[in-house]
Amino acid sequence: MTRVAVDADRCVGHGRCYTLAPEVFDADEVGHAIVLVEDVSGERQTQAADAERNCPEDAITLSP
Amino acid sequence: MTEAEGYVDQAMAGLAEPQPMYKALRESTPVFRSPQAVVLSRLADIEMALKHTELFSSSMDAVDLGNIRPLIPLQIDPPEHAKYRRILDPLFTPREMARREPRVTELVNEMIDRFADRGECDFHEEFAVPLPCTVFLQLLGLPLEDLDQFLEWKDGVIRPEGDAGYDRSHENMAPAAQQIYDYFERAIDDHIASPRDDVLSSLIAARIEGEPLTREEILDICFLFLIAGLDTVTDSLDCFFVYLARHPEHRHQLIEQPDVLPSAIEELLRWETPVPGVVRIATEDVEVGGCPISKGERVSPLLGAANTDPAEFPDPELVDFHRNPNRHRAFGGGPHRCLGSHLARMELRVALREFHRRIPDYEIKPGTELTFTAALRSVESLPLTFPVPAP
Repeated sequence: MTRVAVDADRCVGHGRCYTLAPEVFDADEVGHAIVLVEDVSGERQTQAADAERNCPEDAITLSP
Repeated sequence: MTEAEGYVDQAMAGLAEPQPMYKALRESTPVFRSPQAVVLSRLADIEMALKHTELFSSSMDAVDLGNIRPLIPLQIDPPEHAKYRRILDPLFTPREMARREPRVTELVNEMIDRFADRGECDFHEEFAVPLPCTVFLQLLGLPLEDLDQFLEWKDGVIRPEGDAGYDRSHENMAPAAQQIYDYFERAIDDHIASPRDDVLSSLIAARIEGEPLTREEILDICFLFLIAGLDTVTDSLDCFFVYLARHPEHRHQLIEQPDVLPSAIEELLRWETPVPGVVRIATEDVEVGGCPISKGERVSPLLGAANTDPAEFPDPELVDFHRNPNRHRAFGGGPHRCLGSHLARMELRVALREFHRRIPDYEIKPGTELTFTAALRSVESLPLTFPVPAP
């Protein structure tokens, strides 16, 4: 299992994460990221890793 | 004149392929003092400047567009900036844009209908210019017959007669700017009298801590929308279709693997960076990459150079529609991240999908010499020829 977190102070709403990993992230009403599923494995973990690598603000962290 | 100076000079005049200039700058003088601004071309420095809004202000002094008050939210610095983004961001989320997508799809097809049987078109004039402008009018809830008027005003402040690059004369832009204010004054009155489901009505209804926006604030938002929403998508469409016309193997990927479209758009945004740079003002004496910058100096983070920096992008000269990760900064970053980025992505997605479905093969009319415009990368004219589809 991997734990997913978004740093709300860094997120400015590029929307890359919930586009690339819609099962793990969603948008709040201003379009900033929120975490839908905090502990991920398998396909969701792959998605979350993709989102983490593509965030222009380095706002996503994955930890064991 | 050094190589870098020569390049920056050319960039002011409009460059067909700016990527070699970005590379030369980054490798020779990553913090380059040009007569107009201190140009930053390393991703690390650019990112720092975009994030540190307390050191690099986006205030009115950065760019003059003939406006008499700061444009909202672009020319408002944090922390005040956030209160405007809190009411504006919800109007431009990917979800909100998806709601508008069917109407944009219809619009794109109506535009293609006008030239599909002709076997040729001026893509710039007949598609790249009218599409974002029409979408803008629909979004704000303004009459579509105002299109030509809008285009004239937009060019009057973005590309005023007798101006080029950063050295802009306020007087050249002021008349068009005043007409923009007057037009939106009337539009606001009209929307107050009869509210509807559009962005202007939402602005009138918006509340910040219980208080409505003032009329001036609404005007300053509308003015920015007109500047930011029309030209930039035109620029992107022009750049993308020039690239796709010249690279049939990339174009074929869009047709054979439609699922690649979203990541192809991200890659074209990275490679072309239609808005090649932004402008900031140093708020105090500061040093970037060993180069002292004085308080009040203009600083230009070159987004196009950030997007081709090998420190972030392996093989940056390779245009790879499957590139992953692709943390490009075509929409900037930090608090001023382009408010309309999701609108732009939606328009580009629909335009590329529908155009290639209807007209998969096209080329730039032989003998055409493309002229790229300065600062924002559009072409003055883009004649395309293509086989007429079977009836």
